[in-house]
Amino acid sequence: MKRYRKPIQYLILAAVLLIGGYAIGQSFFTSKTVLSSGNAAPEFELLGLDGQVHDLASYKGKPLVLNFWGSFCPPCRDEMPALQAQYDKWKDQGLQLVGINLSEDRVSVGSFIRSYGVKFPILLDKNKKTERKYGLKEYPTTFFITADGKIQDIVIGGPMSEETISARIERLFASGQ
Amino acid sequence: MNRWLDISSTAFIIAFVLYCASFIFYAVAVGGKRWSNREPAAHNRRWGRIAFVTAILGWIAHLVFFFTRWAGGGHIPTSNMYEFMTFLAMAIMFAFIIVHLIYKNNLLGAFALPLVVIIVAYASVFPSEVQPLIPALNNYWLKIHVTTAATGEAFFAVGFAAALVQLLRVVDFSRTDKAGRREQRWTEFVLFFMVVIVGFLVAVFGFRAAGYEAKFQQESVTIDQQGAEHSKVQTVEYGLPPIVKPYNSEKLSMDTFIGMKEPLFEAPSWMNGVNAGRKLNTVIWSIISGILIYAVLRLLARKPIAARIHPHLTDIDPEDLDEISYRAIAIGFPIFTLGALIFAMIWAQIAWSRFWGWDPKEVWALITWLFYSAYLHLRLSRGWQGTRSAWLAVIGFLVVLFTLIGVNLVIAGLHSYAGV
Amino acid sequence: MIQNTKCECGHQNPLGTVLCESCGKPLVEDLPLDTPLEMRYDGAARRSQKANPALIDRVWNFFSSVKIAVYLIIITLIGAAIGTIYPQESTFINLDDAGSYYKDTYGTWGTIYHALGLSRTYQSWWFIGLLVMIGTSLVVCSLDRVLPLYKALAKQQVRKHLTFITRQQTVYSAPLVEEPDRWIEQFSKQLKRKRYKVWTDGSALLAEKNRFSRWGPYINHIGLIIFLLAVLGRSVPAWHMDKYIGIDEHQTVQIPNTNYYVKNEKFTVEYYKDEELPDKLKGTNRAKLYQTQAKLYACTKYCNDDPIHEPELKEVESHPIEVNSPLSYKGLSLYQYNYEERIRLIEVKPMLEDAKTGKSYGPFDLPMSDPPPAVEAGPYKLTLSAVFPDFGLDAEGRPMTKTRDPNNPAFVFVITGPDLPDKGEMYIYFPMPSGDDKAVQQQINDSFRKLGSNSGRFSFQVGKMENVSFSQYTTYLNVRVDRAMPYVWVGATISMIGLVMGFYWQHRRIWLRIDDGQLTLGAHTNKNTYGIRNEVASALGKCGVAVDPKALDNRRSSS
Repeated sequence: MKRYRKPIQYLILAAVLLIGGYAIGQSFFTSKTVLSSGNAAPEFELLGLDGQVHDLASYKGKPLVLNFWGSFCPPCRDEMPALQAQYDKWKDQGLQLVGINLSEDRVSVGSFIRSYGVKFPILLDKNKKTERKYGLKEYPTTFFITADGKIQDIVIGGPMSEETISARIERLFASGQ
Repeated sequence: MNRWLDISSTAFIIAFVLYCASFIFYAVAVGGKRWSNREPAAHNRRWGRIAFVTAILGWIAHLVFFFTRWAGGGHIPTSNMYEFMTFLAMAIMFAFIIVHLIYKNNLLGAFALPLVVIIVAYASVFPSEVQPLIPALNNYWLKIHVTTAATGEAFFAVGFAAALVQLLRVVDFSRTDKAGRREQRWTEFVLFFMVVIVGFLVAVFGFRAAGYEAKFQQESVTIDQQGAEHSKVQTVEYGLPPIVKPYNSEKLSMDTFIGMKEPLFEAPSWMNGVNAGRKLNTVIWSIISGILIYAVLRLLARKPIAARIHPHLTDIDPEDLDEISYRAIAIGFPIFTLGALIFAMIWAQIAWSRFWGWDPKEVWALITWLFYSAYLHLRLSRGWQGTRSAWLAVIGFLVVLFTLIGVNLVIAGLHSYAGV
Repeated sequence: MIQNTKCECGHQNPLGTVLCESCGKPLVEDLPLDTPLEMRYDGAARRSQKANPALIDRVWNFFSSVKIAVYLIIITLIGAAIGTIYPQESTFINLDDAGSYYKDTYGTWGTIYHALGLSRTYQSWWFIGLLVMIGTSLVVCSLDRVLPLYKALAKQQVRKHLTFITRQQTVYSAPLVEEPDRWIEQFSKQLKRKRYKVWTDGSALLAEKNRFSRWGPYINHIGLIIFLLAVLGRSVPAWHMDKYIGIDEHQTVQIPNTNYYVKNEKFTVEYYKDEELPDKLKGTNRAKLYQTQAKLYACTKYCNDDPIHEPELKEVESHPIEVNSPLSYKGLSLYQYNYEERIRLIEVKPMLEDAKTGKSYGPFDLPMSDPPPAVEAGPYKLTLSAVFPDFGLDAEGRPMTKTRDPNNPAFVFVITGPDLPDKGEMYIYFPMPSGDDKAVQQQINDSFRKLGSNSGRFSFQVGKMENVSFSQYTTYLNVRVDRAMPYVWVGATISMIGLVMGFYWQHRRIWLRIDDGQLTLGAHTNKNTYGIRNEVASALGKCGVAVDPKALDNRRSSS
């Protein structure tokens, strides 16, 4: 018995260190992670109004603005003209501006787009999945994503003015050079 | 109401009267030993037997109350505060009978019976109607959990009674040094605390008998999880003259009480919970009437009450009391573990989908358990016996009382039964 | 101080031994005189008591101390109590901004409480740290004590030192007139009748019973360790899930992060009848029983958020979920959590009525979620031009949807077909049968007519109730996975067995020796000295030595 005393002590203390360390370590990492600038944009794969499937990878290589919106949200509606104007202004330089609709049905989205004259591509989130991945708390929320897929700016709430959008798009292009 | 419930309430009154009688007989057995023309040991034995038989009869009446109420109400009567407290009193009597049969000590009866009487009276403060169960409570694990937990707590109560006798037995009134005085003061304080509880009962039942009533309208503002403010106007009814009125409230009606027509103070703003003002008022009244009763007792005794009781306890050895207190707790501990923790977990797993949720009531059950495990470790491994261990038994029972009553009054959780 | 560990009986004891392992003679000289001996662990050296501790030994000794264990218990107890001052964050299902919630609800103290992290007391590093330390203490304390105790009890000497016997809690000493051997035989017979095991060694006797009760505390500790490990196991993500989902009737919802879908076939609620309620509660709706008829599906194809295909589902389980009766499937449990009465249309099958001809066409299917862009009714084609799931008007009086939930749906159709203008006629339709909605519908259709968008000849009629399917209740289910539960119950059971063993039986031993006609008896028990005194007195009484049980108490005679 005596011969095994030391090894047993070491074994038990090592187990305590390991298990205890894991338990205490756990307590530090339980809080939810919120996306912030500098994070990589989460993946998605969504059906567009155009009937095609689009994923995040297909937008890589050029700056991307992701706008989460719904027809039920007044500030979302109010900022649509500004977004469209900025899209017209920058698209020739390679800007991609994509609206992700907040789980509404196709007909509502289609009629809304027509009545507001929105021309930039719209994707349909299904069952709030992408919305959850991006951790949305307020509508609208707009993510400004660099060409290499990093989130540079997040604007929570709205409506955004054209200057707000423009300034951030300029920064997107600036960081790409 | 049906016939079962009529029988039930009659049996309840009989049980209460018999418990009171048994207490008086025990007091005679212990206190009357040195009365003239009698042999102390025979007197003690004779009156002790009478008292014990009375207590058993009271307990039988209590059982009748319990089972007829079960039959009449359709579910086991442990689902609100009234029913739970009466059940606890019944369990304490059961624990007392068990411990008494082992040790046959009249002193224990003289202290356990008043405890039972107080708890039965306390139960009567709450509305006694049979209430329908909400679905979460409708499960047989509830019956098992509540009854076992209460039985465990009942043994702690008997342990408390024995520990209290022991403290009164060993406290030395001839000492005038600092430690001695401190001991005397704290022992007296425990008695005072019990007098305050009696004061609470006297105040509540006194004013209830007189039909006293006051009503306030309170506006309370709550903020929901979305951050929106909701203001709610509630009527708060007082059964005791309002020394403090609820925070942010208007008087609707108020009976006068010895010339008091208006509330004297308003509850502070942080006491904005439902009925917080009334609870504060009740506490103030309990202390006032407790102090009055204590003052009367002190005048009659002409010395500290502990010093008045102390001489009657000399013919029992403190070691025996220590043993009884410890034994009661040792019997109660596994029962408590099973009922208040393990069965509670099983039930919580079934009803609330998690065996443990850090609900205040659960946490306090755990605290009680941790406290008594500390007691046992100190006793078994560190040799804490006698007075120190008796103090722990007294404090332990206060923790039990807080778990049972305090949590419901002060902290509301999933277990919130009807409040005072 | 160098302690002489060799006893006068010749036995070499390990360092730290209090009572000689062989004969029981006290080895430590400064033991208090005349009081009963401290018998815990039978005076054997605990493993932790070693000379020259190295760091690892110091850590070991720290956790091996009962004093430390009691401190840990007390600190945990206080910490747990502090956690109950305000509600914990974990009691809220959706609490986005905890900081401002505590500030708004509880004022300054709430802010401090939250800032100190006390609103997450039971998940905090220090609280979990305390539990880990208690767990460690359980292991180390038990190991250090159970092994020496086992050894001490396994090799007991029958003939003990006189000091050992006379300094027990229960003692008896008197001259014996009878012949020693016969008396001892008689006495051991009495003890055997009381279920003692008896060993004799000449004129010395050792009787013992219920030794197993000594292992009770250690079995309890093993149970507690298993319990704590199982609780820790719940933090392994695959072992634990806790999610809430709300499902309307007839709706199918995916359980987040799984391949399972659950459908609420039907929800029923039963209320207490007035005669079942006490007077105070009469007329109130107090739920007696509520139940979700649930079906669980497993996804077999297109499961991973395929944007084009609907997932293919296969039913795997169905169960009426009630508060105390969850649906369980392969470790996944669905519990009834709550419900809400909220009428929601699922699908209507209206007829298109032509006031001009008196004919009606249809019915056509109009589902509330994802309605088809166009439907046919008789010769007419109805193209959906707009949908408002929750109809309302914006600041400028234009129609809009207030939320994306189908609380009050409205549909704008453009009808084309025979004898209608090419651009068609436009009508709005509110399927909800409420009076308000019908008035708004009339108003809007009238304004369309004024604008020349329609002629007012068409209307939509649902007719019979069977043409409407709707959900009356939304049920809220709690989805749980708890793979550690069996271990939790095993731990709790073992712990309970240990407690019962340790508390309801007592280890009792009696030592006796007769030297030159002098009988010396000592008895020891770890609990319930009262019981052993009675037992000894009764056994002695049957052997002709009358003695009052109380007189055997060593503490009393010494005080």
